[in-house]
Amino acid sequence: MPRHDGRMRRHERPGPDGPGVNPGPRPRPSRRARDSATSYAFLAPFLITFAVFLAFPVFYSLYLALHQVPADSFDIFGGLEFVAFRNFAKLFADTKFWWSVLMTLYYAALIIPAGIVASLALALLLNNRLRLVAAYRSAFFMPYVLDMLVVGIVWTLIYSPHVGILTRIFESIGITTFSERGFLGMPASAMPSVVFANVLKGAGFGMILYLSAIQNIPQSLYEAAEIDGATPWKRFTAITLPLVKPITLFMVIIGTIGALNAFAEVYAMTGGGPNIDVGGRALGATWVTGYYVFDTFYTQFKLGYAAAMSYVLLALTLIISLVNRRFLRSEV
Amino acid sequence: MVRTRAAVLRRTLLYTGLTVAAIVVLFPFFWMVVTAFKEPGQAFSQEIFPSDPTLENFRRVLTDYGFARYFVNSVVVASSAALFATFFATMAGYVFAKKEFVGKDKVFGFLLASLMIPGMMYVVPQFAIINWLGWMNSYKAMIIPHLANVFGLFLMRQYMMTIPSELLEAAKIDGAGEWQVFRTIMVPLSIPIIATLFLLTFQFHWNNFLWQLIVTNVERLYTVPVGLAMFKSAHEELYTLKMAGSCISVLPIAALFFFAQRYFIEGMTMGALKG
Repeated sequence: MPRHDGRMRRHERPGPDGPGVNPGPRPRPSRRARDSATSYAFLAPFLITFAVFLAFPVFYSLYLALHQVPADSFDIFGGLEFVAFRNFAKLFADTKFWWSVLMTLYYAALIIPAGIVASLALALLLNNRLRLVAAYRSAFFMPYVLDMLVVGIVWTLIYSPHVGILTRIFESIGITTFSERGFLGMPASAMPSVVFANVLKGAGFGMILYLSAIQNIPQSLYEAAEIDGATPWKRFTAITLPLVKPITLFMVIIGTIGALNAFAEVYAMTGGGPNIDVGGRALGATWVTGYYVFDTFYTQFKLGYAAAMSYVLLALTLIISLVNRRFLRSEV
Repeated sequence: MVRTRAAVLRRTLLYTGLTVAAIVVLFPFFWMVVTAFKEPGQAFSQEIFPSDPTLENFRRVLTDYGFARYFVNSVVVASSAALFATFFATMAGYVFAKKEFVGKDKVFGFLLASLMIPGMMYVVPQFAIINWLGWMNSYKAMIIPHLANVFGLFLMRQYMMTIPSELLEAAKIDGAGEWQVFRTIMVPLSIPIIATLFLLTFQFHWNNFLWQLIVTNVERLYTVPVGLAMFKSAHEELYTLKMAGSCISVLPIAALFFFAQRYFIEGMTMGALKG
């Protein structure tokens, strides 16, 4: 149906009704012009809110990034001191910023593979004819729709030192490493713990994507492989994995974007800490860039600096998306 | 016989795997509920089920700590935002699916390109605009900035493209105006996707804690997640109350998910699977 519509469109376009090429006097406006007017009337509420609150802010953010915004000033239209690229120059010399980029990469390097493995494992478990499969599927998906903040707060309880249930479980099997400071209080375990909580929350989403990809694989491929004597593991690596590759690449892309935007989980669980001493400077073990933007803006109220930082975040996102797209196009 | 025994073994293993996975994935929520029913002094007891369950925590967060008010705010903000966002996306989806107009492809391309922009990007400039408009600490600041939902528009358009154009043409021949065609044909035939988008936008606004935190600093306007974040930083030690507040925060979405999971799952994964 849509394809058919497309052809009609192309056929109509060169017609005499185009805007501005309407020659003779006509009693009524052309159909296309009328259609355009009604179309934009239907679009108006959407486009106006889009223009004011989504399109304009992207450009306005650049304006802020190029200006010095005084912390006490609330009149931020006009009256700002133009500082050109000083915010960006400061940013590139900011150890805390580069550290946050490093922590974001670390976060991504943990959460992307862990998320893929968890999602794929759940999908493989569900890809069987069993009773109750639908109930399990719902159970795995549900955390994905719930609030990250709440999930984070609950995990702070589970991870807490001395009394947290996970800390106690570890103690009961003889591991007391986490007893004193808790999982989130130790630099080495803080980031993996944040990631673990997040993977459990988000795995249901990837699971659905993998499941539908797996169910699209023709059964005959597996039967042929079985006749040839391929072991289940061989069948998984030679058939399933290559055929779900588009989903895996998609998971890498959204995982990367998710890492660049990571905020609520850090806010709820660690507040960017615990601090590590790196060459005499205290730097947070979960100090990701998304959290640094928030902290700069909300806690320190440095709007220009936060805007500059978010522009670097945008540039990183675009570069990664472009690289991924190249990669996707050549691989799939 | 051997074959059936292998099948039974396989099935037992699968069920074990599924059950262990479900326990792990749902444990945080289970622990949240259990802790919320414990006496404050018992917050860290390891009992799986509290021996003396109490509703006192819920009563206290709802009345003494204002969560009843936060809940009302959340309902107002999330449902009106969902209503308007869905309405805007339905109207816009209709014209992108069914009409020809000047600049259509360019506008659509521009809208889709905005999906690449990280959400953190908007926070600072949106705050500046809201501030300049004098909208700080108001429902409209919490609702209006996120009403243009590009992903929702995309879902709408995809769905509406499958509705036969002949139906619309026939109605027009019968003398129906544009608005009538939209209201009497497009909307009724798009109810499943409208319901999906309503649920997804409701969920988004209910959970959109960062934005609500930024535009409100008076307690009477806190939504549940903002109230919870404030409670967390003010009363770090009141674990049972914090868990009761958490329960209140996730309950509406969990309930919606329970009754309408198909819409949630399809709506959330549709974009990824078709795109």
